[in-house]
This record gives sequence, structure tokens and C-alpha cells, in this order.
Amino acid sequence: MKKISRRNVLKLAAASGALLTAGKGMVGNALAGSIELAMGGRDFNPDTGKERKAVPTVCYNCVTRDPKIAFVEDGRVVKIEGQPNSIRSLGKICAKGQAGVNQVYFPDRILYPLKRVGKRGDGKYKRISWDEALTDLAARMKKLRDDGHPEKLMYHYGRAKGSSSKLPKSLFMATYGTKTIGNHTTICEGGKFVAQELTWGKHYDNWDFDNTEYVLNFGSSIFEAHTNHIPLSQRLMKAMIERNVPFITFDVRLSNTASKSTKWEPVRPGTDLAVLLAINNIIMQEDLYDREAFTYIRATEDVTASVDEKIAALKKHLAQYTAEWAETKSGVAATDITKYAREFAKAKAATVISYRGLVAHMNGTEGERAAQMLAMITGNVNSPGGRCLAVAPHWKYPKGPKNKPHAKKLKITNGQNIAYPTHGASHQVLKMIKDGSHGRPDIYFWYCYNPVYVNGECQENKDILSDEKLMPFTVTSNIVYDESSKLADLILPDTSYLERWDWDGNASPTQVAEYELRQPAVEPLGECRNFSDVLCDLAKRMDMPLGVENMEEFVKLSCEMTPALKGLPGGGFEYMKKHGVYHDPKEKPNFYVHKKIIKDKDLKKEGVIFDEATGVYWNWKKSKAKDEADAKNKGYFDTHYSYKGYVGQKIGNKVYKGFKPDKINKTGFFELYSTLLKVKGYDPMPIWKDIPGHEKLGGNKLVLTTYKVAVQIHSRSSHCKWLSEMFHDNPAWINSKTAAGLGIKNGDEISLSSVNGKIKIKAYVNEMIVPGAIAISFHLGREESGRYGSGKKSPMASDNDPDLKLKWWDTYGVHPNWLITNKPNPVSGQMCYMDEVVTVNKV
Amino acid sequence: MTTNTRDDRREMLRVTGASLAAAGLASVSLLQPKEAAAAQVKTPQWVMIMDLRRCTGCRACTVACKSEYDVPIGAFKTVIKQVVTGKYPDTRKTFIPRRCNHCEGTEKVGNITVPPCVKACPEYPKDRRVFVTAEGKKIRYRGGATYKRPDGLILIDNDACTGCGKCIDACPYGARTFNKRKLSGKDKSKNAIVKCSSCVHRLDEGVTPACVNTCAPGARIFGDINDPNSDVAKLAREFSLLENRDKTTMKPEAKTMPNIFYIDPDGVLADYSFDDKDKLTEYRDIVE
Repeated sequence: MKKISRRNVLKLAAASGALLTAGKGMVGNALAGSIELAMGGRDFNPDTGKERKAVPTVCYNCVTRDPKIAFVEDGRVVKIEGQPNSIRSLGKICAKGQAGVNQVYFPDRILYPLKRVGKRGDGKYKRISWDEALTDLAARMKKLRDDGHPEKLMYHYGRAKGSSSKLPKSLFMATYGTKTIGNHTTICEGGKFVAQELTWGKHYDNWDFDNTEYVLNFGSSIFEAHTNHIPLSQRLMKAMIERNVPFITFDVRLSNTASKSTKWEPVRPGTDLAVLLAINNIIMQEDLYDREAFTYIRATEDVTASVDEKIAALKKHLAQYTAEWAETKSGVAATDITKYAREFAKAKAATVISYRGLVAHMNGTEGERAAQMLAMITGNVNSPGGRCLAVAPHWKYPKGPKNKPHAKKLKITNGQNIAYPTHGASHQVLKMIKDGSHGRPDIYFWYCYNPVYVNGECQENKDILSDEKLMPFTVTSNIVYDESSKLADLILPDTSYLERWDWDGNASPTQVAEYELRQPAVEPLGECRNFSDVLCDLAKRMDMPLGVENMEEFVKLSCEMTPALKGLPGGGFEYMKKHGVYHDPKEKPNFYVHKKIIKDKDLKKEGVIFDEATGVYWNWKKSKAKDEADAKNKGYFDTHYSYKGYVGQKIGNKVYKGFKPDKINKTGFFELYSTLLKVKGYDPMPIWKDIPGHEKLGGNKLVLTTYKVAVQIHSRSSHCKWLSEMFHDNPAWINSKTAAGLGIKNGDEISLSSVNGKIKIKAYVNEMIVPGAIAISFHLGREESGRYGSGKKSPMASDNDPDLKLKWWDTYGVHPNWLITNKPNPVSGQMCYMDEVVTVNKV
Repeated sequence: MTTNTRDDRREMLRVTGASLAAAGLASVSLLQPKEAAAAQVKTPQWVMIMDLRRCTGCRACTVACKSEYDVPIGAFKTVIKQVVTGKYPDTRKTFIPRRCNHCEGTEKVGNITVPPCVKACPEYPKDRRVFVTAEGKKIRYRGGATYKRPDGLILIDNDACTGCGKCIDACPYGARTFNKRKLSGKDKSKNAIVKCSSCVHRLDEGVTPACVNTCAPGARIFGDINDPNSDVAKLAREFSLLENRDKTTMKPEAKTMPNIFYIDPDGVLADYSFDDKDKLTEYRDIVE
């Protein structure tokens, strides 16, 4: 068999295509056996054989943002495939990505601006013109701004990345003057981000499965869902099958991921930290650590401590965490813990991976920091096959008007008394508004977000958002009528991601940046308008032009400004429109970045000073210090925004790039010992913490755990028929022994209650969950999500989908969040989703 | 078994009427069709291997297929079934991808060996057809509402179909159902039949099936088993798939000789069963 290039495959295929017109009697598989089949890149109508138009673009059904091709036929997107030229996705895309077609054409889609006409929450709307909608909204916003209170416009977004993050925030909101901006990160993985920032500076880690020899997994369902799902999961599977890489998963549940693992280690909820501390301890006591790595580690208050002192300090700190102790906490056998510790440390390259199963707990910050510790002390950080600082594209973009106002902010986005809410505390926003002591927004404007549904304590969210005294004016830009849209005074019909422009990109598993362009595959349906285009329009109506007409122009200018792209054939924008992705073929993966020596001349630059207490060289001019004397007097640690001037870390007599801080005044060490934590009253090193409330478990008191399945996005896909057809019911998983003890049989209706309320749900009694836990996925139980997701027709919905008559399910599942407390982790603000104790009874 | 050579490929182009210039290939002496036939070339035989070690139950294949054909709600051409065995904590969960097995069959219609669905089809055999192999060999065969192509694909010609549904009943796997949004070609009071075609419309253009295209863990491997250098042939040798059909194919007792093989080192296929009664509901994909 001769391999031929893709180019030739295309030509050959075109040649054989002639056969199709010769009549079906002559149709033969002309290419069989003689050439390798092309993996993709082209698609055809199965009935007519006509080739479908291929539009390179980028998925947005989840934050992974796989580059893809949208195939268009007669002006409709009919099929989606992965982009074969992407170094991230390698031409693959998941079930949710494939179902992106449904995001455009689901019959309950909002197609026109809708204005509330009944009581808020009654669901009565009338169709209005864009001009009416924006005239009203612009007048309200202009009044706030002209009254000197731009901060009373709150912008709250769920999913906004790339240019869809920058244009609304850096252009519109900045020019308008509000910094009352919330996100959704702490209901996701904010705690993982903060823990990483405290340890190695940046918030996002890449896992180099292409080169790893061993993988330990604490609470990541990487084969179902992940923030870099398709790029990482396929590489992990390849490593397992083709190189026999062991993959051990610690999880309360036999997830699909756990089931594909070399070994599933069931772990009691909230006890992964104990296992990690014990593994670290064994590695230290048995001298299996990487001595050289300790050069870059901080394990004591004293930043000048020798490697031996640091090793001794860590050994001493961990000594109490024996494998036997960890077994009593977690249920994982001490012999297994010891075995994994030794195997991990002895592997040539090993990766420790983690997600919400580890971090969405009250001890989640310690958990993630203990995982970071394991990677670092075994020399598996920024190394081939290890846990590496993520590499993503560096886009340049227009910054809008030069003279922006000094933006104001209501202090309602970071919760209260959280030590380092560097990613906000989104699930606390509504509570803060209810509380009112830090002010309330007059206009609450949310985008790609569903605050009622995605946060815990759904009833309270609903009550707050319904209350016109707390929330005078509510507005959203959305494609779907959901639980929160239902409480909006004004609903603006957004474009789906297949109808809009964006520049984008995400971490690359190869450690080489990939640039991505999202372009419209089809014209927007109805009167849908992209949210960012609407903001440009609103800006004009308020006499504050942003310097770009719309998102297309913003994206075009960004392509032309970005150094990596501007010199490409035909210009950056034209190149990206044609190809969809770009990476520099000459760029090599950059490992061991922390070991880079800082040049002398960089230390002698204007403003760079040395801080004795931390060993950090930093440029005080980039901080908030008044002058050099002020900077020196306060020092690196206590000067506001000193981290912005970080240059390098002095270790011995050399200055290294080290682990550059990103959000907080961390040193350039890999901080296993954190002064930042110490000054806030927390132990500077990861210690064991029992989960408050878990001491009273047993009987019918179970720990509620939630999870994602492979075929639904958290909250934005239940209206997609191809996904909800497969997943529209979510019974609660309960171990057969636990169930027997409570007299519960498979299929029984059970009730779960917590301090926040009560739900009824069917029991799924099985052998796939640790005793004492109960698990419910969190995609279903939709009050509003159109007919496919909730059985309810949305206002002004159409009936133009022939599948509506064939819909055969009438169950829509149950949502667990009604029970879950919006409780933040005290260090990171992470919502402790997995800690809720519920009382379970047979109904 | 012969290896397909470069020359074979050139010959294929000539026979299909494509110009060499269009194909961008150099012109050298070509085999004539007669010579090609003399070289004992085999027809291709399309095979899919489901590697159960790799399948993560993600259902990208299921949705890709839905989308490729706009398969109506209620019908599926490919699904993933889940098998759970063992007691906690030694529980195992395995995913079994399923689609039409494109069976070789063991029954005869005339000289042709056909699977139960083709045998049951009252509209088979019908029109005379010619299949041109890559080497230019012409193979005559018969079309019908459900028929077997010489490369092993079991296909539906809706123009010939009366929508009688006998093929649905005949399939031991439940792989066929009615398409409730499409009428049969010959009887507009009946529905058309829907089932996997191995994406023949893509194959004939040199592109792999939609489910294979999207399978991130690489659990679906597709190719010509008659090509000894193909991935499927290599895997078939490595795992003795052809020799152990009772363990590597679905429901071997049905004696249909499937062309879908399973790499199943843990012997999970043996734990997976469905009877005739629930075979149709087996083709509804539900995520547990």
C-alpha cells in the first residue's frame, strides 16, 4: 500500500467522483485497497454524493475549543468534523462537538429580541425590534454612566474566551467604566487555578502524555470531559495502549475514565488529599525524590535554605502522613499507596493529573498543592512526560480608545473573607447582591451564563433574580430560553458559535502554541446578532465608539497585529480564514523553562531592584510603589502588584527565571512553603484537613458527589436533540451495600435532603460507587431548555424541526444543585461542590 | 493474496476514466484490464475493528453518524453498549460499539453467499451491476432493495425498496429499523429502512467513515482486510481475529460471518447478550 499525500487523495477522489455520475450500476469502490483512505477533511451528501462546503472554524461547545471543519449544504451546517491540520485535536472532535449542529437549529432557539410583558418569571414576552431593545438598554446604561455610577452595570459571563472575552471586557466595559465583572470559574475549577498560582505562579497545567511513562489521576474524568478534553484524552489512550503506560484513577465513582484506567482506586469523598500526602511522604522517607528539583523548591521560610535543609524540612513536615494513616482516611490500601508512590517516583517520566474530584472540596487547595508537590519533588515539572506550564497563543488585539475612564467596581465579585480569590467567587455574587452591603447593580447583564441553574442553592438564586428590588433591571444575550433567561427583562438573541467571528486558542499538548480562528459557517438565523457586535452598537449609541465596528473587524485587526500571524501568506486574516489554525512549524517544545538563567543586563535594567527577603529581582516601576524608596521600604512581598515586575529568582549565586508569579506576590520558587498562605493564617505547607460535616456520616447521611457525562455540556446542551436523546435521565448512583442498608432497591424513588431543600430521584443501585456516597450528574433537571431539554416550548419557538414529532422521551432528569450549598473554599473561593452531606430516604 | 502496487493504482485511475494529468501522476506503462485480472487480484473487503481496550463510551461516533445522515430521532445506526461485571470494588465497565456487521453470510441466493437480511429481501436480486476493483477488474453482481456489494458492504437501494420490513426482522442484531422521516421508494405508504452503510458515499471518495473520523481514542479501525499492509490486516493477525470468530465477532451463533471484529482481551463480548425480543431496543443509545 502506498501512502500518498492528502493533496493527491483529494485529486484521486475527485477523479473517482466521476463514476457517480455514470449511473449507479457502475458505482464501484474504485479506491479500495490501493491507497490509504483519507481520515477526513471532506464530506459528501449521502444521497446525492454532492460535496459539502468545508468551512474551517473552531468549536465552542466547551472550553477545549477544538479546531474543526463545519460542512455546509444549501446554507445549513449539517456536519462537523475535527480540523485535520490541528496539532491540538489531530482532527478529532467529541460527541458534544459533533452536536454543535443542534446549537444552530434547535427549534426553541431565541431568534428575536424579547421584552418581558408579564411579571418577572411568568415567562410572558413580546417580540420587539433591535432598535427598540438597544435604544432602551443604551438609555439605561448611559444614565448610569452619566450619573457617575458605571459600576452599577454588572457584566456576568459564563463562557467567554479569546476575542469574546477581550472585546466585551477590555474594550466595552473598560471604555464604559465598570469593573463589576463576574465570571463562573469558581463553580468550575477556580480552586485548582489558585492552588497552582500559589505554587508555581501560573494557573493552568498541561499534561505531557506523549512522553509520559506513568500517570496518577486524582478526580479527573478526562475521558468524559476536561478543559482540554480531546487533545489530551486521545494522547493518554495512545500512551496506555501503544506504550503500556499505567494509568491509576482515584475516584469515588467508576466513571468511564476510571473504567478505562489500569486500576480504579475507589476513594472516600474528600480524602484524595490524604493519599497524596502519604505518597509524597513515602517518596521523601525512602529518598526517591529528585534532589536537583529541590534547588527550585521553597520548603522553608528561609529563601536561602540549602537543598539539604529543604529536603529535611519537607521530610519532617510529611512524616506524620503514613500510608497506613492514609488508608484509614481514604479507604485505599496502604500497600497500594506505597506501590504507587514507588512506581511514580521511579518512572522515567510521570504525570500527576487532577481536577474537580480533588479540588472542589474544603481541602481542595491543599489537595492541588499536594499534587503539585508530587510532580515537583519527583522532577516531573516542566519536563518531557510531566506536568508542564501550559503554552497557548499570544494574540495582540486593538485596545480601544486611549483615554478610558478610571473604572469603578462594586465589591461583589469576590465573596467575603476569601484569602486569594484571584478567579473571583462567582457563586457568591447573588448572595452579595442580596446582602447589599457592598452595593447592588442597577443593571445585571449576563452572557453565556445561567446563574440560576449552574450555582448551588437554585431556589435562592431564583428568588434573588426574581426580586425587582434587588435586581432592578435584568438583561441577557443568549441563544436558549433557560432558567435565567426566564428572569430577564430583556432577552437579546445571540449568535451560536457557528455563526460568528472569534480569534481563539487553548493550551497545546505539544507545548507549541496553536492559533485558532472561528468564522461563521452560516449566516445567523432569524434576527440573531453576536453579543460583541451588539456591544459595539450600544457603544455608538452611548457616544463612546470602541474603534472597531464589530467582532469581524476586531478579529481581522488582531490577526494583522499578532506577530506570529501577520507575515503569513496573504496576510494573517486571510490565512486564518483559509486554514483555521496556525502553529510555527519551527517552534520546539520549551521544557524546563524555570531553569533558564536571567541575563545580567536584564537585572541591570531601569527600575529592577533586588529584594533580600524573598531573593526576587523585580522592576518596581511595574508595581504600585510610589517610588524606589517606597518599593524598597515595603519590599517585594508587601508592595501592591509587585509580581507584575518580577524578573528572576536568586538561588545560590545564580538568578533563574524560576516560576514566575502571575496573580500574586509569590517568589520565583516552586512554593511548597507559601508565605502568602502563612500571612493569611493558613499552614504554609499542605496539611491534612478533615471536611467539616463529614465526621457525622453513616446511616442515611451520605456525601453527594456530582459529575459530568461524556454527552452533555454542564448547562448549555440539553436543548441539543442528539445529546438529550441519549441522555435525558440521571438516576442517583448508590452502592448496593449502602442501598441495602437503607432498604433501597434499584429503580426505587428516593428523596435527598440537605439544609437547602429536597429532591426526589430514582435510585441506580450498582457496584460502581464507593459506599457512603451518592452521585448525581449535573446536566439535567432543566426547568427551561426547550422541548428536547425540558419538554417545554420556549416563547416564540418554532415547530420547524421534523424530529419534534419523533421525540420519544418524556423524562428530563433531576438537578442536584438545589441541595448544594454555595460554600467557598476559604483560600481559593472554589465552590465546594463535592462536600454536601445529604439525608437519603426511600420515598 | 496480492499486494496492491503502484501500478495497480495507476490502472485504477485509467479504468475509472480519470486523466492522469488530473491525478497529478507520471505516465508510465499501464497494466491492461486483462493482465490485471490475470494477476489474481482480490476484491477489497471492508472490515471494521472495534478495539474494546480503547473505546471510552464517549458517543462521538453515535452523534457523528446522526449528523452525517440526519438520522431521525428514535433511530440509530451505531450505538455504544455498556457491560458492567464484577462486585465492588472489583467492578469492570466496558463499552461495546455496535453497528451493522456487514455480514458475509452463509446462505445462498443463486451463486452469491448472503447474510439473512439480503436473503429475506423480496426485492433481491434485481438489477445487474458492475463493480470495478482498484485493479480494474470488473465484477458483476446484482442490486436489490438490500444487496451485497463485492467489497462486502451490505447496502440499501431505497428506489427498489417496498418498505416491507422483512430485513429488519431477519437481522439477528437489530441493526435495521424504519426511517420515520423517509418513505420507501416503491411503496409510499411505508417507511424506508435505515442502517449503517459504512459511509459508502465517503469511501467511494477515498474518505474514511464518519464514525472512524471522529473516534478520538482510536477504537474504530477501518480498512481493506485483503490488503496485508492495512491497519486492519495487521491487527487481525496480531489478535487472530479471523481465526477466532466465535470470540471476536458479535453473536457468532447466528452464523452470519460479521465483518465487524472486536479486540476483546477481557472476553467481555461473552458477557454481552440480547435476545430477539429486545434486539431493536438494543439499538437505542442510552448513556448510563
